[in-house]
Amino acid sequence: MKIEFELNGAPRVCEADPGEMLLEVLRRNGAPSVKRGCDTGVCGTCTVLLDGKPVPACAVPAPRVAGHAVTTVEGLAEEALRLGATLTAEGADQCGFCSPGLVVAVVAMSRELEDPTDEEINHYLSGNLCRCTGYVGQLRAIRRYLEEAR
Amino acid sequence: MSVTSYVKAASLDEAAALLASSPRAALVGGGAYLRLGARQLDLAIDLFEAGLDYVRATDAGPALGAMATYRRLETDPLLRDYADGLVARSVADIGGVQLRNVVTVGGTVYRRYAFSNLITALLALDAVVVLHRGGPVPIGDFLAGSHDPQDILAEVRLPAAGGRAAWRELTNTRNDFAVLNVAAVRRADGFRLAVGARPGVARLAEGAMAWLDANADAQDAADHAAGLAAEELEFGDGLRGSAAYRRRLCRTLVRRALAEVLS
Repeated sequence: MKIEFELNGAPRVCEADPGEMLLEVLRRNGAPSVKRGCDTGVCGTCTVLLDGKPVPACAVPAPRVAGHAVTTVEGLAEEALRLGATLTAEGADQCGFCSPGLVVAVVAMSRELEDPTDEEINHYLSGNLCRCTGYVGQLRAIRRYLEEAR
Repeated sequence: MSVTSYVKAASLDEAAALLASSPRAALVGGGAYLRLGARQLDLAIDLFEAGLDYVRATDAGPALGAMATYRRLETDPLLRDYADGLVARSVADIGGVQLRNVVTVGGTVYRRYAFSNLITALLALDAVVVLHRGGPVPIGDFLAGSHDPQDILAEVRLPAAGGRAAWRELTNTRNDFAVLNVAAVRRADGFRLAVGARPGVARLAEGAMAWLDANADAQDAADHAAGLAAEELEFGDGLRGSAAYRRRLCRTLVRRALAEVLS
């Protein structure tokens, strides 16, 4: 079936199996940043924005997004560069597999929460798992990113 | 899951007509588990655009639309103020924000998931499940009985008076399913105490509730009622804990929850 939706601000028409999830469709259509991790909606590596809300692309039926707006990290290049720089500066960027999903989730959080506390940051990002660096460096980098964005 | 055709219904009536059109049609709630199923569907009917993603105040109490997401339950001001935020607390650590933006009230309650935190909270609150054709059904009856597979869960209603409430759960890791979960509610008309992930679906500890109704002012009331709840409910072995462990855990979690609503 054909799915017409907005991908990173531009209209797209993609072919999808009616039983497919959004993750597969995005990876086939120019968004390889959307990583397949757990494939059960809990690790956060495939996080994208659906109408501005963060969702796991592996847990969203692809046909659902017809007529809606999807944003991947490719559509958040400016924020990704700035957060990427603070992750690097704080030693929190190791293998990078989880970084695209983390960037999308941090951008969503910065739009949803005004001046979040560490506890709010930890809670909001508890669905973004990292198996390299741990989370202390990430938290430092995210705080720095949020402070610089003010 | 194999799906031949996928349609987004614009209303409950349209969804009901589509559901009746094929014996191998099914509704899609949040959709998170769609791919994990083994069924072959001729038609998947998505309620995403059917106008059911609401939490709203009514004269009879808060109403939760079938497609209201856990994130909506977690953040809606109405539920933060209702029954000490019990509904919001029960879902706040389910997966991450991403998953909570997908998982829905209807998808959880209709499937009567035994591991559910939300169902435990709704049972303690004496919620009412509203079916499109069948109308309102007390959640206890909905969980215990069978319902028409051609019917659709439209919304869940909560009583106007929330009361004092407390939530307790134990998870092996944050964001995991609970080993056991407990919701306690105290209202003018009495106590309600629900225990879920036993690992069976949530049940009321009716003996403990009746004892509390008569003895709430007794010394060590929380401890005594917790003991009754742990004795009267059934527990089973599962991936996350043994029946014996769950029974011990029940006593501890119920005591702590009751201490909160009795304070």
